Amino acid sequence: MYALITIVGIVVTVFFLAGFWRGCKNAIAEYRAGSPEWGEVPDYRYGGIAALSVVASAVVIAGAGFSPAMIYAGPLLALVTAAGCGLAFFMEDKPAG
Amino acid sequence: MDKSIFAAMPTLTPALGYASMIGLGLFSLALSYGVKTLLVRNTHDFIIADRRVGFGFGVGSVIAVWTWAMAVMMSSAMTYNWGLSGLFWFVVPNGFAVMAMIPFARILRKNMPEGYTISEFIEYRFNRSKAATAIVTVTMIFGIILEILINLKGTSVVVSTVFGIDWKIATIVGIVCVLTYSYFGGLWTSVMTGTLNTLMITVPAAIVVAAVYAKIPGGTQAVFDAVGAAGAKNLSVLRPDAAAGFGITLAFGLLAATVSDQTFWQKVWAVKSRDVGRTFLWSGALFYPIPICLGMLGLVGIAYGLVPADIGGDIVAIGPYIVSHIGLGLTLVLLYVLVILAACYSTIDGASAALSSIVAVDIVKRYFPQTSEGRLFVITKLSVLAGGIVATLIVLSGLDFTTLVLTTYALKTSVLLPLVLSILWPKTNMVGFVGGIVAAIAIGMPIYEMAGELVGTLSIVAISGLTVLIAGLVSRTDFDLSGLKRITDEVSAPAE
Repeated sequence: MYALITIVGIVVTVFFLAGFWRGCKNAIAEYRAGSPEWGEVPDYRYGGIAALSVVASAVVIAGAGFSPAMIYAGPLLALVTAAGCGLAFFMEDKPAG
Repeated sequence: MDKSIFAAMPTLTPALGYASMIGLGLFSLALSYGVKTLLVRNTHDFIIADRRVGFGFGVGSVIAVWTWAMAVMMSSAMTYNWGLSGLFWFVVPNGFAVMAMIPFARILRKNMPEGYTISEFIEYRFNRSKAATAIVTVTMIFGIILEILINLKGTSVVVSTVFGIDWKIATIVGIVCVLTYSYFGGLWTSVMTGTLNTLMITVPAAIVVAAVYAKIPGGTQAVFDAVGAAGAKNLSVLRPDAAAGFGITLAFGLLAATVSDQTFWQKVWAVKSRDVGRTFLWSGALFYPIPICLGMLGLVGIAYGLVPADIGGDIVAIGPYIVSHIGLGLTLVLLYVLVILAACYSTIDGASAALSSIVAVDIVKRYFPQTSEGRLFVITKLSVLAGGIVATLIVLSGLDFTTLVLTTYALKTSVLLPLVLSILWPKTNMVGFVGGIVAAIAIGMPIYEMAGELVGTLSIVAISGLTVLIAGLVSRTDFDLSGLKRITDEVSAPAE
């Protein structure tokens, strides 16, 4: 499991850094373009996902009390956090121009 | 399980400790210089990043500022002390507290799109009431100073423990590293270095925890069996003593820590408006795995029957002790130190950036509105240094900062419900807001001292909330939040 987590960690790091680079380029391009901020706060349904993540975290912790294999869920999910941050960069709109 | 497996590593020299701290600082400084050159030209850019922080940087930086150095260690310590119930009560309210910001963030960003600070909102919400504004401003400043000094203290203890460096020198080196790079780029530097620090917290944490279990004969199965043998309740998340002992109090404290913290409000107004909701949702959800991962080190401590005396007397040291004594390679131990340093630096630079917005908007522009942009920019940057210096002096003085912790706790918990109601409930008025906070401190804190944390916390929250409700129902006047859309940018970017 240690080897797997290390390999996945390296892959996730590359993905994260690719996203970070994209985010930096977007930020600089937008700053130079000087276009005004959109200014709208769209309606956003978050209750279900928020509740799901709270319940999921509780289930993962409780699971470590039922199966030793679940102890590795923590490290594996930490890699999901890094991957999720990287993904967030790719979900940004590219600046116009 | 035989705890003689734990032994100190002779290769962890002070030079390596300094190299770790200064190396991360220099890396951040190089990034900061690039940020300053490309993205920061004035006070507006420095304190609010021109409201152009995108989704990726928003998520990464919110996770980074919420991952305190102490939290990295506390997740292991709570598991070690209370078993999985400790981890449950430490983790579940933590991510929820970040997501709890979403409704308030969306309302204020929609109705006051050109805001900077939560104190500024209170100023306009209560007809420029000096009392209401001053209470919130002081609360925010106290909270920021406390964030800086707790992270500084925690990190200096870890670095001095692992590398044998004098903790006072570690404190000074740490703060100099953070302030040097924070000074240049303000919020942009904070979000970019913070986002990278999220990477430096998550991936190394996963690898190090997996390495610890790989090092243990029998791995997770052996630890699981030993923890169960030490006490079946260690493997349960339903221990009522953990909830009563710290869980419920912590849950309220964490809610107050986000909703009553300018570090988060600054991001509400700095992230692009379309991304505000999902930024806090993703941040809260993606934060969860960090303490869950590091909490698993606490189970190792239980399995080996380590006692506080084995690890220097303080259970917070359980994680650092296991990692630095179980026989991992030097690289892995340094990776763990990097996790703690990254958590420390990102929280301090986030707090420093928040302080700069308070100084610019709530102090200089409020009391000295004629200050020129050039002078404001200099004062704003210097405020970053001032906050760090004050926190460092408190840490170095060796003073017991219980008073500061208690004062900040009282202010933040008292402000929580009045602040929430001032956003959500139009009938909230100034008398109720100020009266609620003052009554909660005057009556609730003595109860806290006499009856303990749980009863005291519930009393403070109840008194502050009820006072606001009663005052609002009596006055029967409604405030129209949408009127705040007329508020113009206090620190608008000067024309090119």
